Amino acid sequence: MGVLEINRLYKRFGHHEVLNGLDMNVPEHSIFGFVGQNGAGKTTTMKIILGLLKPDSGSVTVCGEKVTYGETKTNHNIGFLPDVPEFYGYMNPVEYLKLCGEITGLTKKQIKRKSDELLELVGLKNEKKKIGGFSRGMKQRLGIAQALLNEPKLLICDEPTSALDPIGRKEILDILFAAKGKTTILFSTHILSDVERVCDHIAVLHGGKLVLSGTLSEIKERHRYNGFVLEFENEKTASFFENIGELKRPSISMSRSENTVTVLLSDRGMNGQFLIDLLSQKRIVPLKFAALEPTLENLFMEVVR
Amino acid sequence: MNGYLAFLKKEIFEYTKTYKLMIMLVVFAIFGITNPLMAKLMPEILGSLMTDGIVITIPEATACDAWTQFFKNATQMGFIVMVILSSSVLSSELSKGTLINLLTKGLSRTAVILSKYTCMVLVWTASIALCFGLTYIYTVYLFPSDKISNLLFSVFCLWLFGLFLLAVLLLSSVLSKSSYGCLLITGAIVVACMLVNTIPAAHRYNPISLAADNMGLLTSTIEAHSLYSAMLISSLLSLLCMALSVLIFRKKQL
Repeated sequence: MGVLEINRLYKRFGHHEVLNGLDMNVPEHSIFGFVGQNGAGKTTTMKIILGLLKPDSGSVTVCGEKVTYGETKTNHNIGFLPDVPEFYGYMNPVEYLKLCGEITGLTKKQIKRKSDELLELVGLKNEKKKIGGFSRGMKQRLGIAQALLNEPKLLICDEPTSALDPIGRKEILDILFAAKGKTTILFSTHILSDVERVCDHIAVLHGGKLVLSGTLSEIKERHRYNGFVLEFENEKTASFFENIGELKRPSISMSRSENTVTVLLSDRGMNGQFLIDLLSQKRIVPLKFAALEPTLENLFMEVVR
Repeated sequence: MNGYLAFLKKEIFEYTKTYKLMIMLVVFAIFGITNPLMAKLMPEILGSLMTDGIVITIPEATACDAWTQFFKNATQMGFIVMVILSSSVLSSELSKGTLINLLTKGLSRTAVILSKYTCMVLVWTASIALCFGLTYIYTVYLFPSDKISNLLFSVFCLWLFGLFLLAVLLLSSVLSKSSYGCLLITGAIVVACMLVNTIPAAHRYNPISLAADNMGLLTSTIEAHSLYSAMLISSLLSLLCMALSVLIFRKKQL
């Protein structure tokens, strides 16, 4: 059973259909990348999970409990990091975490221990400044600390990296990666390299439903091209390889840039073995021989087209 | 209950850190000190303006004048300051999104409304008590021999009207998205109460009588019991506003 299960979720704003029968299942202890274009409905989905928006129909369960709109008990199992987290500017981080802890019903001792631990994790331990003077990255890190305070079973992050500089992004991703194992993370983004860096599961939202979902390796496997990249010592060898007569047939397309040749085989019966045999026959040793990996970007473009 | 206490603490902390509490206390303290002073000094100021040939007869200032100032200031400037300071009580948290974090931590929406109301009532009570205390001390000092009737009851009526006004304010802020909308709805309701007051038969039941009849009580031209129905109505309306605020806020899309 998944930590989060979404069944046939519909939501429209006026005439604009945002969610159109969304089904999603987030397994325990995964880092789940929830990908979609801007305006695809990622934030709407998350707000429905948190009981902040009312779905037109469909149901959401968190840890086996059904989410009800408005007051929902399921939020006790959830930590939420909004895309641009806002805090009370007149408090300092320790005061803010204390407030959060009191609301979730932790004891004084637990609050002290957890806040120390989390501020250490997000690198705000010695920050005595008021939150009002924080940079965006610092607010984002405090956002993670407050989201993890009640040891949630599900951590929901809404585009946690989209507004940050490269260093800030790396830090946030590292923190999220460190939280894996303790909790399940649902992480929305439109930055595909972030997904590739930390996620193990991925789902692409388009047109109000998932157009692609599964583990990252599974998806790549499913969409693998029958293509190879060969790198040679110099351009001369590359050019020689490119012009071998055996490769001149309609089912093979090739392209060369300097000493790298990309070969795409559209004939199902042909595979890498054919190229290796050819290389050995011609007594050429390539520097590199690699199967062409589908990039997430290509996949994404393909499914949202 | 956890959430209610924690959030109430946060509200009080916010009032002190954002100087709202200080502004309220300072404004009401200034009123408290100046009420009797103005009453005492006004005849002398007017007297000094008198030139030869013009004779104005000015009655001797009494404690009654000091209390007239008190009820006038509290019901006009005092309420205006309070309403403006509190108008962003919900809208700022909703537009900035500071409440979302806490709601997703399992803070109940009912607790938000109740603790916000509690805090506003506490601040209002402290302010009016300070103002009353200062006016009382000075009045006794400046006009020691004057006798006043129904004073505590009259102030209690004023306090009760404040509670009603705050409940209306909270309901308005739940209904509207901005602090201006909240001010507008609150203002409209107060104006409506004033208009209703032009109908003599309605005067007995109108909450605004609690803030309008205070001097009448002091000079015994109005009997205390004639305000009982207005008190009851105000309390019931406050409760109704609170109940509606909670119900609407619980179903609000955030």
